[in-house]
Amino acid sequence: MSFREKSAWAMAVLLGAAGLYYLYIVRAASAAIGETAPPQIAILFVLLVVIGAVVVQTVLALSSPKAAGAPADERERIAGDRAGHWSGLLLATGVVCALGHFMAYGDGNALFHLIAASLIVAQILEYGLEIFLLRRSF
Amino acid sequence: MGKRPPITNRVREYRERSGAMSQAALGEAIGVTRQTVIAIEQGRYSPSLESAFRIARLFGVGIEEVFGWEGE
Repeated sequence: MSFREKSAWAMAVLLGAAGLYYLYIVRAASAAIGETAPPQIAILFVLLVVIGAVVVQTVLALSSPKAAGAPADERERIAGDRAGHWSGLLLATGVVCALGHFMAYGDGNALFHLIAASLIVAQILEYGLEIFLLRRSF
Repeated sequence: MGKRPPITNRVREYRERSGAMSQAALGEAIGVTRQTVIAIEQGRYSPSLESAFRIARLFGVGIEEVFGWEGE
Protein backbone atom coordinates (compact mmCIF):
# COMPACT_ATOMS: atom_id res chain seq x y z
CA MET A 1 0.00 0.00 0.00
CA SER A 2 1.42 3.38 -1.01
CA PHE A 3 1.94 6.23 1.45
CA ARG A 4 -0.92 8.22 -0.09
CA GLU A 5 -3.31 5.31 0.21
CA LYS A 6 -2.35 4.78 3.86
CA SER A 7 -2.79 8.49 4.49
CA ALA A 8 -6.22 8.48 2.77
CA TRP A 9 -7.35 5.47 4.85
CA ALA A 10 -6.20 7.10 8.08
CA MET A 11 -7.83 10.45 7.30
CA ALA A 12 -11.07 8.81 6.14
CA VAL A 13 -11.32 6.86 9.40
CA LEU A 14 -10.42 9.92 11.48
CA LEU A 15 -12.90 12.16 9.69
CA GLY A 16 -15.59 9.47 9.76
CA ALA A 17 -15.24 9.06 13.52
CA ALA A 18 -15.04 12.82 14.13
CA GLY A 19 -18.05 13.36 11.83
CA LEU A 20 -20.13 10.88 13.82
CA TYR A 21 -19.07 12.64 17.02
CA TYR A 22 -20.07 16.00 15.50
CA LEU A 23 -23.47 14.60 14.52
CA TYR A 24 -23.94 13.22 18.03
CA ILE A 25 -23.07 16.48 19.85
CA VAL A 26 -25.19 18.62 17.53
CA ARG A 27 -28.21 16.32 17.95
CA ALA A 28 -27.75 16.06 21.71
CA ALA A 29 -27.27 19.83 22.19
CA SER A 30 -30.20 20.64 19.89
CA ALA A 31 -32.46 18.25 21.81
CA ALA A 32 -31.34 19.77 25.13
CA ILE A 33 -32.00 23.40 24.19
CA GLY A 34 -35.06 22.77 22.04
CA GLU A 35 -33.64 24.42 18.89
CA THR A 36 -30.71 23.91 16.52
CA ALA A 37 -27.42 24.06 18.43
CA PRO A 38 -25.28 27.18 17.79
CA PRO A 39 -22.18 26.93 15.54
CA GLN A 40 -19.80 27.34 18.51
CA ILE A 41 -20.40 23.67 19.29
CA ALA A 42 -18.27 22.81 16.24
CA ILE A 43 -15.10 24.19 17.88
CA LEU A 44 -14.48 20.91 19.72
CA PHE A 45 -14.93 18.99 16.47
CA VAL A 46 -12.46 21.23 14.62
CA LEU A 47 -9.89 20.85 17.42
CA LEU A 48 -10.36 17.07 17.39
CA VAL A 49 -9.84 16.87 13.62
CA VAL A 50 -6.82 19.20 13.58
CA ILE A 51 -5.05 17.42 16.46
CA GLY A 52 -6.00 13.99 15.09
CA ALA A 53 -4.75 14.87 11.61
CA VAL A 54 -1.43 16.16 12.95
CA VAL A 55 -0.93 13.00 15.02
CA VAL A 56 -1.92 10.66 12.16
CA GLN A 57 0.26 12.42 9.58
CA THR A 58 3.22 12.57 11.96
CA VAL A 59 3.00 8.85 12.73
CA LEU A 60 2.71 8.01 9.01
CA ALA A 61 5.60 10.32 8.10
CA LEU A 62 7.82 8.83 10.80
CA SER A 63 7.02 5.30 9.62
CA SER A 64 8.02 6.09 6.01
CA PRO A 65 9.91 9.41 5.90
CA LYS A 66 11.12 9.01 2.31
CA ALA A 67 7.65 8.36 0.87
CA ALA A 68 6.17 11.16 2.99
CA GLY A 69 8.55 13.71 1.48
CA ALA A 70 8.06 12.57 -2.10
CA PRO A 71 5.56 14.42 -4.30
CA ALA A 72 2.56 12.54 -5.73
CA ASP A 73 3.45 10.65 -8.89
CA GLU A 74 1.43 10.88 -12.13
CA ARG A 75 -1.03 8.08 -11.25
CA GLU A 76 -1.62 9.47 -7.75
CA ARG A 77 -2.20 12.96 -9.19
CA ILE A 78 -4.84 11.63 -11.62
CA ALA A 79 -6.58 9.73 -8.79
CA GLY A 80 -6.45 12.83 -6.57
CA ASP A 81 -7.82 15.09 -9.32
CA ARG A 82 -10.74 12.77 -10.12
CA ALA A 83 -11.57 12.26 -6.45
CA GLY A 84 -11.41 16.02 -5.88
CA HIS A 85 -13.75 16.63 -8.82
CA TRP A 86 -16.52 14.38 -7.44
CA SER A 87 -15.94 15.59 -3.91
CA GLY A 88 -16.31 19.20 -5.09
CA LEU A 89 -19.59 18.38 -6.82
CA LEU A 90 -20.92 16.74 -3.66
CA LEU A 91 -19.88 19.73 -1.56
CA ALA A 92 -21.58 22.13 -3.98
CA THR A 93 -24.76 20.04 -3.89
CA GLY A 94 -24.69 20.01 -0.10
CA VAL A 95 -24.20 23.78 0.06
CA VAL A 96 -27.08 24.41 -2.37
CA CYS A 97 -29.35 22.11 -0.31
CA ALA A 98 -28.29 23.91 2.89
CA LEU A 99 -29.10 27.28 1.31
CA GLY A 100 -32.47 25.92 0.21
CA HIS A 101 -33.12 24.82 3.79
CA PHE A 102 -32.16 28.30 5.02
CA MET A 103 -34.52 29.94 2.52
CA ALA A 104 -37.36 27.71 3.67
CA TYR A 105 -36.80 27.84 7.43
CA GLY A 106 -34.48 30.82 8.04
CA ASP A 107 -32.43 28.80 10.53
CA GLY A 108 -28.85 30.10 10.38
CA ASN A 109 -27.57 27.54 12.86
CA ALA A 110 -28.91 24.70 10.71
CA LEU A 111 -27.29 26.34 7.67
CA PHE A 112 -23.92 26.22 9.42
CA HIS A 113 -24.28 22.57 10.47
CA LEU A 114 -25.53 21.46 7.05
CA ILE A 115 -22.58 23.12 5.30
CA ALA A 116 -20.16 21.63 7.86
CA ALA A 117 -21.73 18.19 7.32
CA SER A 118 -21.44 18.59 3.54
CA LEU A 119 -17.79 19.45 3.95
CA ILE A 120 -17.17 16.38 6.12
CA VAL A 121 -19.03 14.00 3.79
CA ALA A 122 -17.36 15.48 0.70
CA GLN A 123 -13.93 15.06 2.27
CA ILE A 124 -14.65 11.46 3.26
CA LEU A 125 -15.86 10.80 -0.30
CA GLU A 126 -12.63 12.29 -1.65
CA TYR A 127 -10.49 9.97 0.48
CA GLY A 128 -12.68 6.97 -0.39
CA LEU A 129 -12.57 7.68 -4.12
CA GLU A 130 -8.82 8.21 -4.01
CA ILE A 131 -8.38 4.78 -2.42
CA PHE A 132 -10.76 3.22 -4.97
CA LEU A 133 -9.05 4.84 -7.95
CA LEU A 134 -5.57 3.89 -6.76
CA ARG A 135 -6.72 0.25 -6.77
CA ARG A 136 -8.57 0.09 -10.06
CA SER A 137 -7.51 0.33 -13.72
CA PHE A 138 -7.48 3.69 -15.44
CA MET B 1 -12.17 -2.92 -11.43
CA GLY B 2 -12.34 -0.37 -14.24
CA LYS B 3 -11.80 -1.01 -17.91
CA ARG B 4 -8.23 -2.05 -18.61
CA PRO B 5 -6.30 0.29 -20.88
CA PRO B 6 -5.66 -1.07 -24.42
CA ILE B 7 -1.91 -0.56 -24.15
CA THR B 8 0.21 -3.64 -23.55
CA ASN B 9 3.75 -3.61 -22.24
CA ARG B 10 6.81 -5.73 -21.64
CA VAL B 11 8.10 -3.73 -18.70
CA ARG B 12 8.34 -6.73 -16.40
CA GLU B 13 10.25 -8.72 -19.02
CA TYR B 14 12.76 -5.93 -19.61
CA ARG B 15 13.08 -5.24 -15.88
CA GLU B 16 13.90 -8.87 -15.15
CA ARG B 17 16.32 -8.93 -18.07
CA SER B 18 18.12 -5.89 -16.63
CA GLY B 19 19.76 -7.84 -13.83
CA ALA B 20 16.49 -8.42 -11.94
CA MET B 21 15.96 -4.73 -11.24
CA SER B 22 13.41 -4.29 -8.47
CA GLN B 23 10.08 -2.54 -9.04
CA ALA B 24 11.10 0.05 -6.44
CA ALA B 25 14.37 0.73 -8.28
CA LEU B 26 12.57 1.12 -11.60
CA GLY B 27 10.04 3.44 -9.96
CA GLU B 28 12.79 5.55 -8.47
CA ALA B 29 14.60 5.73 -11.80
CA ILE B 30 11.57 7.05 -13.69
CA GLY B 31 10.01 9.09 -10.86
CA VAL B 32 6.97 7.04 -9.88
CA THR B 33 6.07 4.89 -6.88
CA ARG B 34 6.55 1.12 -6.70
CA GLN B 35 2.74 0.78 -6.72
CA THR B 36 2.58 2.61 -10.04
CA VAL B 37 5.22 0.30 -11.53
CA ILE B 38 3.13 -2.67 -10.33
CA ALA B 39 -0.01 -1.13 -11.92
CA ILE B 40 1.87 -0.61 -15.21
CA GLU B 41 3.21 -4.17 -15.25
CA GLN B 42 -0.23 -5.60 -14.51
CA GLY B 43 -1.74 -3.52 -17.33
CA ARG B 44 -3.97 -1.57 -14.91
CA TYR B 45 -2.42 1.79 -15.77
CA SER B 46 -1.00 3.28 -18.96
CA PRO B 47 1.93 5.52 -18.10
CA SER B 48 2.25 9.04 -19.47
CA LEU B 49 4.23 9.44 -22.68
CA GLU B 50 7.08 10.94 -20.65
CA SER B 51 7.24 7.95 -18.30
CA ALA B 52 6.96 5.53 -21.21
CA PHE B 53 9.97 7.20 -22.86
CA ARG B 54 11.86 7.16 -19.56
CA ILE B 55 11.25 3.42 -19.20
CA ALA B 56 12.30 2.67 -22.77
CA ARG B 57 15.42 4.83 -22.49
CA LEU B 58 16.33 3.19 -19.21
CA PHE B 59 16.28 -0.21 -20.90
CA GLY B 60 18.12 1.19 -23.94
CA VAL B 61 15.39 0.29 -26.44
CA GLY B 62 12.77 2.13 -28.49
CA ILE B 63 9.38 2.89 -26.98
CA GLU B 64 7.63 0.44 -29.37
CA GLU B 65 9.79 -2.36 -28.08
CA VAL B 66 8.31 -1.92 -24.62
CA PHE B 67 4.79 -0.67 -25.32
CA GLY B 68 2.24 -1.82 -27.87
CA TRP B 69 -1.44 -1.73 -28.74
CA GLU B 70 -3.65 -4.61 -27.67
CA GLY B 71 -4.05 -7.20 -30.45
CA GLU B 72 -1.15 -5.95 -32.55
